[in-house]
Amino acid sequence: MRYRVGGIALLGVAAWLLPYQLDSYAIHVVNVMLLYALLAIGLGLAMGIAGQINLAQVAFFGVGAYVTAILTTKSGWGFWAAAVVAILAAAAIGLLVGTPALRMQSHYLGIVTLGLALAFTNWVTNSHLAGGAEGITGIPRPQLPGVDLSSEYLFYYVELIVFAVALAFGIFVVRTPLGRRMRAMRDDALAAGAVGVEVPMLRMTAFLFAGVYGGIAGVLYAGLIRYVAPETFSIANMFLLLAMVIIGGRQSLVGCVIGAISLALVRELLVDYPTYAQVAYGSVVVLTVVFAPTGLAGLPRRVTGWLRRRGWLPGGAATAGALRPFQPYGQAPAPQAGPMLEVTGVSKHFRGLTALQDITLTVPAGQIRGIVGPNGSGKTTLFNVVSGLYKPSAGRVAIAGTDLTAARPYRLAQAGIARTFQNLRLFAALTVRENVLVALDRSRIRSIWRYAVWQVGVWRHDRELRRRADQILERFGLTDFADSLPGALPYGIQRRVEVARAMAATPRLLLLDEPAAGLNGEEVRQLAEIVRSIRGAGVTVVVIEHNMGLVMSLCDQVTVLSNGRIIADGEPARVAVDPHVIEAYLGDSTVIDVPAAEEATQATEVKL
Amino acid sequence: MQVTIQTFIGGLSLGAIYALVAMGFSLVYRTMGLVNFAHGNVVMIGAYFASTFYLSAKLPFAAAMVIALVVTGLIGIVIERVLRPLENKDFDLMLIGTIGFGIVLEALAIIIWGATGRAVPSPVPGAPLDVFGIRIRTYDLVVLAIAAAATAVLVLFLQRTKRGAAMQAVAMDHQAATAVGIHVGRSNSIAFMIGAGLAALAGGLVGPLLYVSPAMGGTLGIKGFAAAILGGFGSIPGAIIGGLCIGVLDGFTAGHFQGYSELVTFLVFTVIIMVRPTGIFGERTVNRA
Amino acid sequence: MSLFARRRVAILSTVAAATIALSACSAPGEDEESSSSGDGPIKIAVVNAQSGQLSSLGAWELKGVKLAVDEWNKAGGVGGRQIELGVFDDQGDPTVGTNLARKIASEGYVAMLGTAESAVTIAMAPILQQEEIPNITSGQSPGLVAVKSPFLFLNGPTSTTYDETLAKYIVDTKGIKSIAVITNNGSYGKGEHDAFLKALSSRGVTPVADHAVTTDQKDFSAALTSIRQKNPQLIFVGAEEVQSGLIVKQARDLGIKAPFAGAAPQGTPVFIDTAGAANAEGTIVSSPYLSNEISDASRTFAAAYKAMHGEDAEMHGAKAYDGAQIMLTALKNSNLATGKPLADAIRSTKHAGLLGNFTFDETGVGIFETSIGTITSGKLIAATDA
Repeated sequence: MRYRVGGIALLGVAAWLLPYQLDSYAIHVVNVMLLYALLAIGLGLAMGIAGQINLAQVAFFGVGAYVTAILTTKSGWGFWAAAVVAILAAAAIGLLVGTPALRMQSHYLGIVTLGLALAFTNWVTNSHLAGGAEGITGIPRPQLPGVDLSSEYLFYYVELIVFAVALAFGIFVVRTPLGRRMRAMRDDALAAGAVGVEVPMLRMTAFLFAGVYGGIAGVLYAGLIRYVAPETFSIANMFLLLAMVIIGGRQSLVGCVIGAISLALVRELLVDYPTYAQVAYGSVVVLTVVFAPTGLAGLPRRVTGWLRRRGWLPGGAATAGALRPFQPYGQAPAPQAGPMLEVTGVSKHFRGLTALQDITLTVPAGQIRGIVGPNGSGKTTLFNVVSGLYKPSAGRVAIAGTDLTAARPYRLAQAGIARTFQNLRLFAALTVRENVLVALDRSRIRSIWRYAVWQVGVWRHDRELRRRADQILERFGLTDFADSLPGALPYGIQRRVEVARAMAATPRLLLLDEPAAGLNGEEVRQLAEIVRSIRGAGVTVVVIEHNMGLVMSLCDQVTVLSNGRIIADGEPARVAVDPHVIEAYLGDSTVIDVPAAEEATQATEVKL
Repeated sequence: MQVTIQTFIGGLSLGAIYALVAMGFSLVYRTMGLVNFAHGNVVMIGAYFASTFYLSAKLPFAAAMVIALVVTGLIGIVIERVLRPLENKDFDLMLIGTIGFGIVLEALAIIIWGATGRAVPSPVPGAPLDVFGIRIRTYDLVVLAIAAAATAVLVLFLQRTKRGAAMQAVAMDHQAATAVGIHVGRSNSIAFMIGAGLAALAGGLVGPLLYVSPAMGGTLGIKGFAAAILGGFGSIPGAIIGGLCIGVLDGFTAGHFQGYSELVTFLVFTVIIMVRPTGIFGERTVNRA
Repeated sequence: MSLFARRRVAILSTVAAATIALSACSAPGEDEESSSSGDGPIKIAVVNAQSGQLSSLGAWELKGVKLAVDEWNKAGGVGGRQIELGVFDDQGDPTVGTNLARKIASEGYVAMLGTAESAVTIAMAPILQQEEIPNITSGQSPGLVAVKSPFLFLNGPTSTTYDETLAKYIVDTKGIKSIAVITNNGSYGKGEHDAFLKALSSRGVTPVADHAVTTDQKDFSAALTSIRQKNPQLIFVGAEEVQSGLIVKQARDLGIKAPFAGAAPQGTPVFIDTAGAANAEGTIVSSPYLSNEISDASRTFAAAYKAMHGEDAEMHGAKAYDGAQIMLTALKNSNLATGKPLADAIRSTKHAGLLGNFTFDETGVGIFETSIGTITSGKLIAATDA
């Protein structure tokens, strides 16, 4: 910590003294470099942290620069007043360009944002207001009392301060609840929604950040160059910016800055050979994605990891430490009687295939309900309907008497539903502690105003969350793995992390999808103990399970599905001897499954 | 009315090119779940090779096209081979990797052929046909015919040959395909090669229609990609319909909105995709989650 | 450990103290240096696109400048000092241009030649004015005049002159009144559009069609079809060489028979190649430099150009050659002045160049006439009736 503070202080002093060492051209190069660094932070927040492919960052940059230029030259505004409006405009455009992210992701989002960026360049090239292809000259010098900002040396300090604040704010966001939820969304949007992350709003927030950072860079650009023209905001520059972020390491804001600065330097060195520079950075992008996906920022960790594997460095296995016993929850008073989950007449069709047909079931509060059935009988589809991932074709779902049919997953999570997934959906790039923190965090998107005005409040809130996360980790015996990435842990422990994460959301209704899959005998016994304790704490549990031994010993009541219909319902012992059930299980091999691929094609329509 | 029909015809021939580009995108995507952003630049390289052998080596146009097909096919294999470690792992990284390839290809073209580009005379002599005042260039007909033939061959290959069937199988479920002994890597290579070949075809054909320059890849790539998505990403008929739609849309916006045509084209595209994200024919996707 | 920590604190506090001391004394900055003093070579910057779409223009310009400088250096330089050219690549990008403006200022160049792209020159002009570096540009946009920089000069006429001459010939001499206009929305195309329309309206002529296309548009069916319906006697094209060529080629494919007219780009071999010689036949061109055969001076220039660069000279090289000649003459006349005196010297330089007789006015334009030529059998020939 002390080293870090010292290092930052040293960097700060070096940055402060830098202009004394530079001639007037070099300082200009540095000023331009800082602008790229600002843009890279914005792009890093949207792409690396929130996972939103954003190829419109240059357009946000352009909006900031153009609005400043237009307001100062055509409307006679002062520079700083124009700057404020310009940043707001860039933020608004950020939100606008981000809207498609609500409906699509990945390459779809890539082409749409790229298209909108092209549309922007097209508009400024044509618009009389924006000066057409010749751009706008004569942007006035920004005025600051006592400081002559026409000197690039002094402008450097303005940029340096803005940059330092912007970087610090970015890092603050990444390390506190908002950024954590964004990273969770990036790693697994479905699971993030299921633990209550407001995925649509967070996506918009990501674009808002990209817009604001782009706008700030644009304003500074207008003040520095005092001229704007369409070519500056071209696709070639967008790809350059992208290369900076990828080479630097998109998941680390410091990495983005390092990438921006080093690529800008290299480009400056090769300024007389721009084509060769282009070959060079294109190749480096390819090499980076293949050999070092975490970029320059991830190199130290990769190198030490490699050395450890070679045995040249001590330490190593992330699994050092032991899974400790689960500490049972205290007995809570029995919850109020009445149904916790009511499913009424639910059907779900996929392109003519019926996955669920007229399902009606009621789970009373405080019960452990088992759902069994052959593969493809619709169990997981039922969970997906209840937890809001699928919209039912017909029927209603109510939680504790409130109709929540087809509500978005995060709304259901907020209403008290938590779930685990059949094939483990942990946030891969978050530590175990952070996985739990995301679920613990109940702060709503509307509280992001605190990021703008009351950072101390955010920080206190975060400290409180961490304290509670440590309690949960201790209860589930996971303390030793708090700082490990889930992928490095044995399967059984990952399963337990997922249950801990679900419980961190303090649900009323817990849905467990094959929680015993892949566990050994001892682990299954521990699981049963954990589930009973959870019920004891007043939580209603619904569990899909193939391990009939576990179902028989754990569940109060069992519902059997086959071909999307309920074929039996009742006490475990009675259901087990039901002839329909036996027939369904014996005929398992002839049962026509709802093909997995068919469900998968619907993935793009899944609401988040 | 005459203007409308003439614009439509102009849009159609360019649309056929977009369709070929879109087909390359879609084929690679449905087989291996990869969006190849370098595809537009592969089109450009194909156009350069075809025009170089046609103009400088004085080969017949068809022979020049065959050479271009082979060369770009090899480029396709190289791209696939380099990015193979990322397959089925990180979709977004692979996408960015192909952008990197695109940047390199464009710069290489500038180094080899210069930045200004070249005009390619039409390989089909003869005056345009005049049908009730509507002029139809003979070369446009050739482009449409070749595009249609290429589509037919591709569909036959996918449906009637063993190799094609294997690729379909990989597209549907690559684990199951591996289980029955299909070499997924080779299948992906072939998809990439055919995709690049389609790109060369598009590039070679577009040369005489427009102008060959290192920057042409960007526009063709983006419009072709938009076409693929509009039609339903991964669907072959979708690529064709999408390509023709984008071509015609382009023609009409150019006529009505003049300088602002690009703005309008992309806004319309965005709105359509917002309303129907899976495109006209619905996405054919490889899901390996 | 503690030893290290203590040492670090010591270093930090020293550095901090130094900072405070330094910043208390002065803000960072750079001493003015005057590089033209002394006996070293005179440094002149040539800024042009050496890469990117416009790089062929940049290459031509550089060849013209090199030829002029080579002639002067062989004759003993200016005031006994050799001239040294620094070549900079603006990539056709205004932002790169502004970077370069600062670079040539900090590296002590006394003057700048170029660029061929008006937008880049306009972007650089305020910085060059602030640094007092005279600039002779090859741009022709009326926007250059609007900058009103006393340090900015043009080595040719503006679009206004090109199009006024053209309109005069078409309307007054040929009596053509039914004219269609197709231009792109780039800085060149827009300048042409405005200048030509102004020249037409002063003659009471309204174009029958007025179409704008984007700079990277390649298919013009829509615009050309609607032009065809109007059946004009002549079509004015305002676009760069390649795009003009494509427009003409596609127009002929659509069965448009009317001749085309335009400014300098339509007289270049690139245009004729792109359009196809047969399609370009009869195109009317307004240019200050129709061919290498127009005068004895141009023949001498073309021969020297060919000897030095091994290729035929063309208009851009000739313009740049004139610009370099004017700059060097002014340096000589002013006794190697820099800054404002050099700019004044350029303004008062009378030069009989390849393009005509230069006499600069307050706006920095030195020549106000172009000639009319027509493309005949794939070559640009002076019009006999102009």
